[in-house]
Amino acid sequence: MVDSKHQWKAWLYLAPAIVLLLIFTVWPIINTLRMAFLEGYTTAKEANPFIDYEFTVGIGNFVRVIQYPGFMTCLQNTILLCVLTVPISTFLALLIAVALNSIKPLQRLLQTIFFMPYVTNSIAIGMVFAAMFNMIIGGSARPDSVGIINNVLEALGFEYINWMNAGSEYWANIVVMVVYIVWNALPFKILILLGGLQSVNKQYYEAARVDGTPKWRVFTRITIPLLSPMLAYVIITGFIGGFKEYSSIVGIFGESMGPVGNDYALDTMVGFIYRAIGNQEGTASAAALILFAIIFVVTMINLAVSKKSTHY
Amino acid sequence: MKVVLQNLTKIFPSRDKKAGKEVVAVNDFTFEIPDGKLVGLLGPSGCGKSTTLYMISGLQKPTGGRIFFGEDDVTELTTENRGIGLVFQNYALYPHMTVKQNILFPLQNLKGADKMTKDQMLERAYNVAKLVQIDELMERKPSELSGGQQQRVAIARALVKMPRVLLLDEPLSNLDARLRLQTREEIRRIQKETGITTVFVTHDQEEAMSISDMIVVMKLGVVQQTGKPQDVYDDPTNLFVAKFLGTPPINVFDGCVKDGKVYIGQDKVLEISGVADQDVTIGIRPEGFELDPAGGLTCQLSNVEVMGRDVSVVSTHPASVNPSVRSIIDADNKVDLGAGIVRYSIKPHKIFLFNKETEERIYFEVK
Amino acid sequence: MSEIKTMRDRDMQKVSAQQSVMKVLGKIVVYAFLIIMAIIVIFPFYWMIISSLKEMNEYRRSVPTLFPEVIDFMNYVEVFTNEDLLLGQLFYNTVLVGVVSTAGGLVITVLSAFAFARLEFKGKNALFAALLATMMIPGELFTITNYQTVFMWGWIETYRVLIIPFMVSVFYIYLLRQNFLQIPNELYLAAKVDGCSDLKYLWKVMIPLALPTIISITILKMMGSWNSYMWPRLVANDDAHRLITNGLRTAFTNAEGVTDIPVQMAAVAVVSLPLFLVFIFLRKYIMKGVSRSGIKG
Repeated sequence: MVDSKHQWKAWLYLAPAIVLLLIFTVWPIINTLRMAFLEGYTTAKEANPFIDYEFTVGIGNFVRVIQYPGFMTCLQNTILLCVLTVPISTFLALLIAVALNSIKPLQRLLQTIFFMPYVTNSIAIGMVFAAMFNMIIGGSARPDSVGIINNVLEALGFEYINWMNAGSEYWANIVVMVVYIVWNALPFKILILLGGLQSVNKQYYEAARVDGTPKWRVFTRITIPLLSPMLAYVIITGFIGGFKEYSSIVGIFGESMGPVGNDYALDTMVGFIYRAIGNQEGTASAAALILFAIIFVVTMINLAVSKKSTHY
Repeated sequence: MKVVLQNLTKIFPSRDKKAGKEVVAVNDFTFEIPDGKLVGLLGPSGCGKSTTLYMISGLQKPTGGRIFFGEDDVTELTTENRGIGLVFQNYALYPHMTVKQNILFPLQNLKGADKMTKDQMLERAYNVAKLVQIDELMERKPSELSGGQQQRVAIARALVKMPRVLLLDEPLSNLDARLRLQTREEIRRIQKETGITTVFVTHDQEEAMSISDMIVVMKLGVVQQTGKPQDVYDDPTNLFVAKFLGTPPINVFDGCVKDGKVYIGQDKVLEISGVADQDVTIGIRPEGFELDPAGGLTCQLSNVEVMGRDVSVVSTHPASVNPSVRSIIDADNKVDLGAGIVRYSIKPHKIFLFNKETEERIYFEVK
Repeated sequence: MSEIKTMRDRDMQKVSAQQSVMKVLGKIVVYAFLIIMAIIVIFPFYWMIISSLKEMNEYRRSVPTLFPEVIDFMNYVEVFTNEDLLLGQLFYNTVLVGVVSTAGGLVITVLSAFAFARLEFKGKNALFAALLATMMIPGELFTITNYQTVFMWGWIETYRVLIIPFMVSVFYIYLLRQNFLQIPNELYLAAKVDGCSDLKYLWKVMIPLALPTIISITILKMMGSWNSYMWPRLVANDDAHRLITNGLRTAFTNAEGVTDIPVQMAAVAVVSLPLFLVFIFLRKYIMKGVSRSGIKG
């Protein structure tokens, strides 16, 4: 590399990025740590020109976050959605990717279709899903319309379910969210896994064929291990995304984050943080740090596990 | 197990739909590989040698013709039912498995009567590993092995299920020059010890000549000549085979036959019978020249390369097709560079005549 | 080694016939699975479109129609004329914010990626590592303070609050730097020998060579603006500056909380249309960019 005598030039090129990142990325990190550990911190108190607040340092914000009843709901919802959607979407994406990789005709067309959900606005398409699960209540005992999903259920001989209208049950709400989140998460995972499959040297499969290896054994002993770095990748990013779940719920249930009459039943960590912005900055900061800690720990666990199970 | 190829043909449909031209990779190949022999398929790239190997393996289906293992017609059998071992050019060792797991892998696929216990498998794996001398490396991953060691593991994996036929695709091409020499002897030894009919593909004539019991020279999908390496070298059927075999390569001249005499340019080099007067292409092996002050062939001397036992004399001749004429003579002969010219007589069994148009060999009798 | 004898010859002809039947069956199963999954995946899009073309009466039917009996474009007329939604304003705001923040972000990203990839200065590696480290932190953590900052500066309900704070993404700098690094350094040295200035080299050589990545970044950034919800909702939720996603979420629900779904679906379709156009024409770049970057917007 050229030994540039004009070091200032490099800094000149970097200056806009550094200035913006200092203000909007580095300072927030420092400030979040500061606010989180100042007891009872709010911007309003700090900025108050009449009273000179002296905040004491402590972990009160964290304690308050954890003791706040709504927070446990948020944590529970977040973890539940993560634990349900990541394995389901990864497994489905793997099946689809392997199936796509094994065919020739229609492969490109199907690949394009499976990628379509990626290029969507998660709030907008969330509204479509809501329309599909939603019932329109009329005058009679049976709703005027039970929604297309229920229509399908009834056609299959089941009874219709109140998925997300007033009075719907928690598990039904979760099912709706899982369906939507999985649908939303599939394209990215399929893309990565299919890319991984296509980059596997074909000769491994030919070698396995020469040895008469049964299909399932090829899958478990060759495909999965060779794909393990990509699998680890989609699982880790899946968990990170899962812990930040928010807008998909707004898409389906709106800002009330729950069915009518049961607001915030499906609130999440990010939702909690957002609502604390503008009034309870200390609490919001503490919650954000907790979220970061959880994501960090889960990612580390994932990495440790994948290091053990990815063999090369 | 002998392997018989009968009118074997492979036609690939054209990739470019507009051009619509098919590619005939292998054209009407008939050959019998005797039991327990090592056979080299030899030719420049695109000659159809790899396609032939893949058809024997069953990974590719022939467009026409039949393949027999012994008396069994295996043409319709899928790869896994043919009982072959295949060593890939880049070895295709499973990168996530240890050497031991790689070698055990084929055994774990055996079903029914062939099924083995764990101990039997291990014993077999260690026996094969010992045979190819990698029993010290069983716990390593392929990425921790040198190219030559990976090659041995690949051979071990192909041998462990005791295949009826062993197939090797360019087995030495990924090794450096020193290892190549060593490994080809190794392959020869292993083949001899196991007695498994072995077919390998190479573009390197030296490699094929040095270890094969028989070679098959191919060009553009068509078999040019088959036979023992020395026989093919000494008696090529056409100019292509003559040019393809031998290092340094054969010297090619424009010449003619007139009144029972062979001329290279104006130089009369040999008297023969049984050939009508015509223009011919003449090939002379480098070792076919003898220094002879009274010799018929006169060349302009350019250089003498000393190689110890032999010397290589580089000269030019106006009728030579190549820029230079290269002969190999015994080092006892002293060549005087200052003389500027060198005169040769030609050993009659080292000179070949070819038809100018068809490039087929023209046989003659020495007078 | 005498114990190696060749594999017992087996009569496998019948097995092979059986296997080819299994093979065909397997193919059928694979295709059936893929096609069913594909139908499930595109069904919401289909449902959105046909619902947007139905009259409310038809939509409310207990047995839904899979294709509208009467194709009614009134829902679309309603979307474009609705005075609460102000679709034109939403489009204008979103495009303006998207274009300006993408263009600005690109310039900054290209310059810094170039500095990191090709220039030598003290503390380069440490700085780069520090930047990468910030990628681990969830964006929500920044939002709290950034809200304070823009509030203090009086930026609330302006265009600049939508454009500036999240204009630079460390990730794209990283992505482009990696791409720049793949360009052989000899080219840079040759250009230096020829007296080419850094900026000219960047413009004439680096950018053309890294163009696919730059296009991918542009598309992903534009899509990100089009889909952004949380930050705009927080800092610019007034009629003059509201962005499209945000406007969409709250529209078409009357005072009783009852939603006019067909109109809503028409609005969703209108908002989704630009994305689909981008998808159809630039699919290659998106897929390449995503598989390389692995992030959404």
